[in-house]
Amino acid sequence: MALFIAVGLLGGRGAVAAPTAQQVEAVFLFYFSQFVDWPPGSFADQSSPIVIGVLGDDPFDGSLDQAVAGEHVNGRPVVVRRLKSLAETNGCHILYISSSEAAQLTQIMSALKGRKVLTVSDLGGFVRSGGMIRFVLIDQHVRLVINPQAAQAAGLKLSSKLLRAAAPGEG
Amino acid sequence: MPLRNLPIRRKLMVMLLVTSGAVLGLTCAAFIAYQYQGYRAAARHTVETLGEVIASNSTAAVAFDNASDETDVLAALHAEGRVTLAAVYDSSGALFAHYPANAPATAFPPHPASDGLRFDAATLIYYLPIRQGGNDRLGTLYLRWNLASLHREIDLYTLIAAGMMLFAMLIAYVLGRSLQQQISRPIQTLGRAAVAVSEKRDYSVRAPKLGNDELGVLTDAFNHMLDQLTADITERQAFGTRLQRQLSRLDLLHRITRGVGERQDLGSIFQFVIRHLEDDVPVDFGCICLYDPHEEILTVTSVGPRSRETALELALTESARVPVDRNGLSRCVRGELVYEPDIGGSEFQFPSTLAKGGLRALVVAPLRAESRVFGVLVAARREPQSFSSGDCEFLRQLSEHVALAAHQAQLYDALQHAYEDLRQSQETVVQQERLRALGQMASGVAHDINNAISPIALYTESLLEREATLSERARSYLTTIQTAIHDVARTVSRMREFYRPQEGHAALAKIELDRVIGGVLELTQARWRDLPQERGAVIELRTDFVRPPVAIMGAENEIRDALTNLIFNAADAMPDGGTLTVRTKTVMRQLKGAGADEAPVEMVCLEVSDTGVGMDPETRRRCLEPFFTTKGERGTGMGLAMVYGMAQRHRAELEIDSAPGEGTTVRVVFPAAPTAAEETVRQIALGLPGRPMRILIVDDDPIIIESLRETLRGDAHRVTAAEGGQAGIGAFEAALAKGEAFELVITDLGMPHVDGRRVAAAIKAVSPDTPVILLTGWGQRLMADNQVPPHVDRVLNKPPRLKELRAALAELGRQA
Repeated sequence: MALFIAVGLLGGRGAVAAPTAQQVEAVFLFYFSQFVDWPPGSFADQSSPIVIGVLGDDPFDGSLDQAVAGEHVNGRPVVVRRLKSLAETNGCHILYISSSEAAQLTQIMSALKGRKVLTVSDLGGFVRSGGMIRFVLIDQHVRLVINPQAAQAAGLKLSSKLLRAAAPGEG
Repeated sequence: MPLRNLPIRRKLMVMLLVTSGAVLGLTCAAFIAYQYQGYRAAARHTVETLGEVIASNSTAAVAFDNASDETDVLAALHAEGRVTLAAVYDSSGALFAHYPANAPATAFPPHPASDGLRFDAATLIYYLPIRQGGNDRLGTLYLRWNLASLHREIDLYTLIAAGMMLFAMLIAYVLGRSLQQQISRPIQTLGRAAVAVSEKRDYSVRAPKLGNDELGVLTDAFNHMLDQLTADITERQAFGTRLQRQLSRLDLLHRITRGVGERQDLGSIFQFVIRHLEDDVPVDFGCICLYDPHEEILTVTSVGPRSRETALELALTESARVPVDRNGLSRCVRGELVYEPDIGGSEFQFPSTLAKGGLRALVVAPLRAESRVFGVLVAARREPQSFSSGDCEFLRQLSEHVALAAHQAQLYDALQHAYEDLRQSQETVVQQERLRALGQMASGVAHDINNAISPIALYTESLLEREATLSERARSYLTTIQTAIHDVARTVSRMREFYRPQEGHAALAKIELDRVIGGVLELTQARWRDLPQERGAVIELRTDFVRPPVAIMGAENEIRDALTNLIFNAADAMPDGGTLTVRTKTVMRQLKGAGADEAPVEMVCLEVSDTGVGMDPETRRRCLEPFFTTKGERGTGMGLAMVYGMAQRHRAELEIDSAPGEGTTVRVVFPAAPTAAEETVRQIALGLPGRPMRILIVDDDPIIIESLRETLRGDAHRVTAAEGGQAGIGAFEAALAKGEAFELVITDLGMPHVDGRRVAAAIKAVSPDTPVILLTGWGQRLMADNQVPPHVDRVLNKPPRLKELRAALAELGRQA
């Protein structure tokens, strides 16, 4: 399913309509699950799903659901949860913080301090705020700015390959 | 040129090079193939490993669409020069990044093919998925590996292998060249030897042996075969020589046999054989001796021309006598071929005699005919032991042929003699037969004449005797007729005298030959003495009588006539004079007609010889024939014929020796008279008629019947006549039935239907005591053929003399 989506999203990039940045980000969100190792105890059991939470307004317009639909990563299904409040973020393994939450960003980030969850956002200054990965658009391409220290502090291990794929810079 | 026709050296070389080339080639090919496979496996492994590494490093770049990052990753391939192209396609199959970075996108496949590793002509293509962990494929990695280096390497290996092979072949050639001689040299030498043998026929060639392997064995066998061949050839040549000699001997034997076969007398046969023996066998001495088994003596019969000198020296010339002692000669005359290889030290006479003449080797071969040895063939040489078994065999065969030829010559001789005897006998028989035929003719003529004159004689005699009233004139005429008839009868009787056989013992009397001769000489004096003297010729008489005088049994008148004839002939044979010799002598001979077993008896020979002209063979042959004469008108041609007849009748032999100019001797050889024999004097009432009898006359001739009847009636007989045989028998039987039987029967012999013999038989059947007289003109012939028929008491000739008839009647009548 992920391949199908990927093909659908990426394959049509040249020939059909180029995928939007949101679509690309949705797929990236899914791919993060493959390059991150969560510390033990993050999952209830072997088959517990990897949960991707979207905090705030969902910018993906369903493409995220498409990206994860039917996919398994390391034997685990991937599910998407849309979250209205910070309180709902418990149990998420990847948390996308929507642009709609820009005002509460500091608050959110402090609330999440110490939580074993990969935080991702488009918001400027996200990484400096203690966020782990920020999407930036460079030359029409979605690029990643990664804060490995934040991830390390949260107990997450990011793949070195993920790190190499990240764009240098501040976010 | 096909391999099988190559010389063996090159063949071996080719085999060696091909074999080592094949082995090396295979080894190199295997090595190269192994290398190639190894290299490919290595390339595969390298590509796979490389691919895995690249793919693993590319996951994040692909996943997060970082093409530049990916390009960096791919740029690491620069270290591996054999990767010419590499590319990464995203999950949708679009080209994402490539290596070298500056290569145009068209250099790469627009889309990835299926996963996996594949080789094409010069490259190794590898497609593999890009995955993060066990998750779904993120993209595809494409690698193109250049195999040119592999091919370069393979080419290099091939080159090295080819070089190695070349070098190895060179080594193999050099080694093979020296090693193959181990095999090719013995074969070549063997081959050369075989060629020398087959082409030059040089059987002394031997192949040198170069080792103890199979070829060594073959060489040995070849040499051994040559040895055997040489032996065979030598043997065959010897055989050929022997055969040649045998053939030449056979040829010689053939020539001798043929030469001998052309000869008929022993002497020339023996000479021919000995000459060939000396020239062609050859021998130094050769002779043939004839053997006398009674005296045990060999007589040298024939000595070869070259042996003559030696024979003279050894006293073995022809007709020399060699006694057969107990040496080889005695064995030889028993039929063995005797070979003395060396007679140098022989103690026997014959071999030592030959040894004195320098002869050393001796062969004596028997000449044998009908299993009897009649001679020996002697062959000798100066060289001791010089007769081979072939020579001996030749001499044995030769002696057999010679013996056969000699025997045949003897047989031929005997045959000639027998033939001569037979010829003479045949001549005699022919002559006798001719005389006999003439005699028969004469008898026939005499018979007819006698029949014709019988009545004349009987009537004339009767008239003169009984008619006392006859005038003087008639009596004179009748006397003249009677004389004339007697003359005719005498002529007729003389004509057949020469053939008339003896008339029984009655006619023969004891005769003193001397007396008869003396009388005849005296009576014939005018002819042999006086008549020639008138011509001036002198015939001297010599007489030579055996003493004491001898007597013979004979008819004096016949002997006298015969002697007279002989003396006349002698006188006629000496017109110019000469010597007439009359001689008697006794000789011991077998009687004429006696068997061969009978002992000879004393016989008396009367010989009359002259020194006159003699007779040529033709005359001698025909002189006994009647009417044959050399005297022209003067001779009757009956003289010697009568002498012959006389001799026949006296069982005497007549011998005539004569040759032209040599005179003639005639001998009559009589059986001597039995000295103590009593001469029976037969009392015959001659001239007087006997007592009257009843007589039956049977004849088919009325004139004869009539004359006989008249004559017999004149003698007071009662005569009944019957005309023909059957009538005669009837008359006799009728008379017998009436009790008036005839006392005597006179019957003719030759009658139609029933002849005299049957008449006589019929009469004797009913009355055995009645005498029968057979009257015939054929009387003499009957006697001669011993055909006096049974039942006949007397045979009388026609014309019947009254005196004879009366005598017979008187004698038979008395007996009856």
